[in-house]
Amino acid sequence: MTIRGDLDDIAACHCSQCRRWSGHVWAAVPVPDDRLEVEGAEHVRWFKSSDKAERGFCGTCGSSIFWRAFGRGETDVAVGCIEPPTGLRLQRHIWVGDKGDYYDIADGAPQEDRQ
Amino acid sequence: MSSEGSEISGACLCGAVTFAGRLTSEPVGACHCSQCRRWSGHFWAGAELRDPAIEGEPLRWFRSSEDAERGFCAACGSSLFWRETGSRRTVVSAGAITPPTGLRLEGHIYVADKGDYYDIADGLPQQAQSRRRVAPAAFAAPSG
Ligand SMILES: [Zn+2]
Ligand SMILES: [Zn+2]
Ligand SMILES: [Zn+2]
Repeated sequence: MTIRGDLDDIAACHCSQCRRWSGHVWAAVPVPDDRLEVEGAEHVRWFKSSDKAERGFCGTCGSSIFWRAFGRGETDVAVGCIEPPTGLRLQRHIWVGDKGDYYDIADGAPQEDRQ
Repeated sequence: MSSEGSEISGACLCGAVTFAGRLTSEPVGACHCSQCRRWSGHFWAGAELRDPAIEGEPLRWFRSSEDAERGFCAACGSSLFWRETGSRRTVVSAGAITPPTGLRLEGHIYVADKGDYYDIADGLPQQAQSRRRVAPAAFAAPSG
C-alpha cells in the first residue's frame, strides 16, 4: 500500500474485537481514502465486524491490516504493516476500559476508556 | 507465571475457529519480530499449548518461513496460531484467549526487530531474539 501526506493520531486499540483480531493489541493510523492506495486489493477480504464497521485482512496470510467505519471516507491502517522507518509515534491508547487482563500499559502515552 | 498445565480456550473474532488445550512451561511472551508485527498489525503476544484442539472450517495455515506456519481465520481475519512445522506445540494468540485468562505477560522477544513508533516500558525482561532456552533454527533469522 502507499500512503500520501502526513499521518496523525496513531492509536493502540485495546477493545476486545481488536484484541481477538490482532492477537494482542491493534495499532493504527487513520488515512483519508483519497490518500490511500492499495496494491493487491484483490487479496484483501472484508469482514463486517459490527453494524458500523468492517475489517480488512489479507486472505493469503491473515495479516490484520484495515478497519473502516461505513461512510466516513477514511480507513485505519495497521502501523505494524507500514514500511519502516515509519517516522511515527504512538500517541494514545483507546478503549483501555476493555483491555486484556494479562498485560499492563506502561509507556506513559495518554489512555482513554473509550475512543 | 506460566501456569503450566492449566487449561485455556479461546476463539477468533467471528467465533468460527476455536481452540483449547493445556499450557506448556514456555513463558507467555510478546513478539516484536517484523513478521509478527505485520501479521498482527502492531506486535503479537502468545501462550504455548501442547496438542491443542483446534476446530473450525475457515482455519487457514500460511507458511511464514521454512520452518514455521501461521494459522488464521479466513472468515474474519483473526491472527491466531504460530507453530513450527510438525511440532506438537502451538503458540496461540493471547488476545483470542477467553477472559479471565489467568495469565501474565512474562517478557518480550525479538526486541531488536521492534517497531520504531512505540516503546516497551513495562519493565519485563527483553530478549534481542528468541525467548527459547534452545533457539531452534526457525528463530535465527526473522524476516518480513
Ligand atoms: Zn478496537
Ligand atoms: Zn473468525
Ligand atoms: Zn514473531
